[in-house]
Amino acid sequence: MNLGTRKILDNSFTAVGMGSIVVMALALLVVLTPIVYNGVGAVFFTGTIEHRTMLYKEYGRGDSKTIEAQSATADRYRGEAYRMLSGFEAEMEGMTPEASREYRSKYAPVRAAMSSLLGPLPGDPQPMLTRFQYGQTRWEKAEEKLHDILYEKKWDYSDPTVMAKEFYVPRAEAFAGTKLAPLFGYVDKHLADMMQPQFTFYWGFFTDRSLDAHIFGGIWPEIQGTFFLAIGAMLFAFPLGVIAAVYFTEYAKEGFFTSILRSANSTLAGVPSIVFGLFGLAFFINTMKVSESKSVLAGSLTLAIMILPTIIRAAEEAILSVPKTYKEASLGLGSTKWNTIATVILPAALPGIITGGIISLGRAAGETAPIIFTAAVSVGSAIGIADVFSSPTPALSWNIYNLASEHEMASEIRHVQYGMVLSLVSIVLLLNLSAILLRAKISQKLKG
Amino acid sequence: MTEEVKNDGQRSSAFVVSPQKRKMQKLAKNAGETLLLGIASFVAIVVLFIFYFVAVDAIPYFQLRGFTEFFTSTGWYPAGEPGEFGALAIIYGSAMVTFGSALLAVPMGIAAAVCLSDILPFSVRQYAKPIIEMLAAIPSVAFGFFALVILAPLLQSNGGPLLMWTWWVLAAPFLLLAVIVAADLLSARFAREENRRKMALLLQSLFGILAVLVLYVVGTKLNAIEIITGTNALNVSIILSFMALPTIVSVAEDALQSVGRELREGSYALGATRAETLLKTVLPAASSGILAAVILGIMRALGETMVVWMASGNSSHIPDPWFNYLEAVRTLTATIAGDMGEADQVTGSARYHVLFAMGLLLLVISFFSNLVSERIVVRQRKILSGQ
Repeated sequence: MNLGTRKILDNSFTAVGMGSIVVMALALLVVLTPIVYNGVGAVFFTGTIEHRTMLYKEYGRGDSKTIEAQSATADRYRGEAYRMLSGFEAEMEGMTPEASREYRSKYAPVRAAMSSLLGPLPGDPQPMLTRFQYGQTRWEKAEEKLHDILYEKKWDYSDPTVMAKEFYVPRAEAFAGTKLAPLFGYVDKHLADMMQPQFTFYWGFFTDRSLDAHIFGGIWPEIQGTFFLAIGAMLFAFPLGVIAAVYFTEYAKEGFFTSILRSANSTLAGVPSIVFGLFGLAFFINTMKVSESKSVLAGSLTLAIMILPTIIRAAEEAILSVPKTYKEASLGLGSTKWNTIATVILPAALPGIITGGIISLGRAAGETAPIIFTAAVSVGSAIGIADVFSSPTPALSWNIYNLASEHEMASEIRHVQYGMVLSLVSIVLLLNLSAILLRAKISQKLKG
Repeated sequence: MTEEVKNDGQRSSAFVVSPQKRKMQKLAKNAGETLLLGIASFVAIVVLFIFYFVAVDAIPYFQLRGFTEFFTSTGWYPAGEPGEFGALAIIYGSAMVTFGSALLAVPMGIAAAVCLSDILPFSVRQYAKPIIEMLAAIPSVAFGFFALVILAPLLQSNGGPLLMWTWWVLAAPFLLLAVIVAADLLSARFAREENRRKMALLLQSLFGILAVLVLYVVGTKLNAIEIITGTNALNVSIILSFMALPTIVSVAEDALQSVGRELREGSYALGATRAETLLKTVLPAASSGILAAVILGIMRALGETMVVWMASGNSSHIPDPWFNYLEAVRTLTATIAGDMGEADQVTGSARYHVLFAMGLLLLVISFFSNLVSERIVVRQRKILSGQ
């Protein structure tokens, strides 16, 4: 091979390596950007008057006078639309039965969409579910509903070789010549007047209980549950892990038994997370009966077992990185081994041990599979600190899954899901970031 | 010396230890060390307990239904009367997404590890490492959410063009390289000294046209593909590969760094370029450590639950044809997570125990691959340290 080709190969090899690192950075960016962008939208968004009314009625928040004034303005514009609807309903009564039936079937979706946009229409009974008691609380959702009102979605099946395509037909054409015809233009023109959009900073997203399975309200029960589970897991795993690390680094004599303990540690680190869940269910709940059914305690214990190997490894590394001279100086001064460990080695290794602990805390907060069978419920209110021994809790990780995959209105509450994902990701990444910074500080200190 | 201490009774009691006190100290020391040992063995006890309690709930299934159905049948109807518990399609689904993610993650991971350990200067490495750590830290459910809500609709609506562009971006540089190298090698072999340049040029243009044709034909084929469902094996494989990457990179990088400077310097001294040194000397020397990295990365992908549960489509069948990554699949982990809620938890039903059988299968696989990778690492360390 000639030299030029070899140089090209050399450079392209470098390029492949750098390329894969760039791909990883891009992947991180591609995953995080939509999560951050849309997640911020759960807190900062253009809210409608419905949102403010809901907050006032359900959480007692907001200035009643302003809300009433805005409500009155909105109702003035809405009244016109309501009159058109009732006018058309009266008009249908007087039609021939065939025409009436035909219009009725076309009118039903319009009425449903109007009710979804503005809340219960006048004359409707008060709905049982909170989700039907208010109209659209977010402006971009209101615009989507407007589109539903204005256009009818149809599918084009004409070409059997390709997938059916959707297309939209304006509804106004179907009602041409009736009293309903002007409604479409009116709603289109006065949407903002009817909804009173206004920039909203909904900080309560993080601190409010959820209403009607997360259709309104915040995610406090989930955040609290995640903290309970993660901190509970740390309470069990951290002391155990640090003590085990002290044993491995200072006391264990290399031999068959120690090597078995070490490989048990790495086996535990490699167990799939869902198997921890199965174990938690079979052992903590079915055998030990730490609680009647799922509970925060059982979940914390399961998570603790999962993060134990990480803590042990990090603590071992931290202890080993303490300069030998420290230990020798302490022993030389006549201190006992245990005294040396407690007063010299552990304090010197503490930042490193804490780094490992922080990373494990993040891992415990983010894991889902171990808590599915042991601690998590989909819907629930925040539990008190006294209930951790007996009751299950909602948790961010589990509820993200649940809202995205199993919720009946999953596509309607994407903003809540994004908000939850952002909360979870930022909790975990902030913990990791602080660990990284702490570690950088340590290595600087060790360099001197 | 003793006289002096005796004279100053106040100080002496601190230094001279009575036999009784020494006995107490020894006792305390022994008790303390036993306690430490007990706590350290806690991990081993936990591992034993995990095996025992998963196995205890798994064995009744095999007692009830035997082994053949679980491993050979593809009929998965646990809710039927009587239920069918053929897990072959599910095991195949797990294998499929794991293989797919390894296909993407292994080359990328090794390349990135080489780059981190040998190519990048220290100042750049400082920024690259946190990226990898952050990738490892993102919770799996966030990846799953991304796969379900963003990637799946994207694949479904723009799958063909997306595949085509990926093909172009990935394949074009490699084909270009292959053309240059092939032309060089062939001209060196068949042409005489004075004609080599011309011959190489000729071959390059010839192969170049061929390569562009291949790129174009495959590209249009990919562009025409319509992906029926975005929640499929491809989607999951892509996401899983990024979850396995950090493991592969960090373990492989450790293996590469444990290869000494002498090997590298020897290779440079013989006139090898950096790529040749890395490919022919460093990588073979670190190969067993890299194998361990690959095994650990694969285990990460196999054991992952949330991503596959949310975005694999959860349809229990073997794709047709068997390598079709654009179909929905179902995996072991997702089946355990998804079916446990419905399985009535009263012990005794095959429906409950079959999930533990799957857990046991995962546990055994992870145990053995861990054992193998650990052995490999230990052996490599011994070889490299020259023992």
